[in-house]
Amino acid sequence: MRYSNDLGVTFSAPVMVNAQPEPIYDRSENRPKLAIGTHGELYVSWSQSLARPWTGFVWFARSLDGGAHFSTPITVHVDRTEIGHAFDALAVDGKGRVVVAWIDKRDAEAASARKKPYLGAALYYSWSDDQGRTFAPERKLMDHSCDCCRIALARTPRGDIAAFFRGIFGDNIRDHAYAVLHADAQPNKVERATFDDWQIAACPRHGPGLAIASDGTRHVVWYVAKDTPTIWYGQLDPGHRPRHVQAIAGTGASHADVAVDGHTVWVAWNQVNAQGYTLMIRQSFDDGAHFDKPRSLASTAPSAGAPQLLLWRHRAYVAWNTAEGFRLLTVGEH
Amino acid sequence: MHRVFVALAMLAPMLTHAAPLIGLSAADVPALLKPPSHGERIIELWALDCVYCELNMQAAAAFQRAHPDDVQLITVATDSIAQKDAILERLHATGLDRYAARAYTDATPERINYLLDPGWGGETPRTLVIHANGTTRGISGALTPQRLPAL
Repeated sequence: MRYSNDLGVTFSAPVMVNAQPEPIYDRSENRPKLAIGTHGELYVSWSQSLARPWTGFVWFARSLDGGAHFSTPITVHVDRTEIGHAFDALAVDGKGRVVVAWIDKRDAEAASARKKPYLGAALYYSWSDDQGRTFAPERKLMDHSCDCCRIALARTPRGDIAAFFRGIFGDNIRDHAYAVLHADAQPNKVERATFDDWQIAACPRHGPGLAIASDGTRHVVWYVAKDTPTIWYGQLDPGHRPRHVQAIAGTGASHADVAVDGHTVWVAWNQVNAQGYTLMIRQSFDDGAHFDKPRSLASTAPSAGAPQLLLWRHRAYVAWNTAEGFRLLTVGEH
Repeated sequence: MHRVFVALAMLAPMLTHAAPLIGLSAADVPALLKPPSHGERIIELWALDCVYCELNMQAAAAFQRAHPDDVQLITVATDSIAQKDAILERLHATGLDRYAARAYTDATPERINYLLDPGWGGETPRTLVIHANGTTRGISGALTPQRLPAL
């Protein structure tokens, strides 16, 4: 981990999070995550790749001294069978609890052992009430999640952590689900939240984005390639079709992220063409009712990771990791 | 001596049939997409972490075996060729290692994805069928015995 105190101009020397090197998933949407606690704690999660194909463990480490040292990593889940636990997502709720969600293959493996069909994987999560020292036994949120798409987490105005993720509905329909992840015994209510009916027995490799406004509006972006590849924006109304649905970008667009502050909504994504990658942005100044024209922020030829929108003092930035180096780009004031 | 013979016998299928894994860069894409002189070329795009891909590749291989004179099959791993050992091991385990095999030379595959098929968002498996007349069809997801001939 490295940090910058001058908005990405310079960075500290790297500090090793996991002192014991290991193979980790670092590709596409399955990469390490970083979150900051309510008292400045630094939390990191990642998915370790195990020897067998499609298997992994979700690991976690914390720093309570501003990143000078990290704790000995712990496995987040109780289940230790050598199966798939990956695509970890990390967030801190309003009470300071650390929430980790991931894609888990235990139910698919169990069904396979009984020679029963099971589509996709399942979504599990756990939480820590003690600043990441220990994690509660995991809870299953939903059977039949997609195998290979990132999970979007965001904090609700009440301080809970909500998840928006690609599920499998019916016969391989890869629409999305929404749920608040209760960190207690409350039952979880998972609802289908997109209704594109993209039916495909494949790994879409494009997870959604979620940002929740202070009034509770759930701004989301998601990817569908039912006809032509399209990134959509909408406002969730779980159980029903999203509202204010708009096509944000088309062919060549991938890995969108969304952020909201006040009445301003930003969507950033990678636009690929024959020359390489362009980091694109669109803004709405009326709560997502309309978006301005796409604007390019930066370009790179070799390779680029998924962009991440970050907010600081009502300004939006995009963190963009490319083969040419890490860049923090200022979107502009609103 | 007997042990040596057994070891050689185990190696023999790989020595006689396994195709080498060749990198696929952006510059290599036009040659890969060049229409065949006759019949069709099937390009099976797959990935190490794709749980749906092996069955697809096997379906494409079965189709190629049924039409050996008219159909070429090339597997393309969207993983970096830096994972060569894992890719070759998987191709061998699934009986696909006798077919021409490529793997991306770039760790982030989207640009090559786009060059191969601008209408493809990177979901795997993806099957490209290139006909001798220059037409190309692409389809994502599971192949069925009916679906592949229709392409």
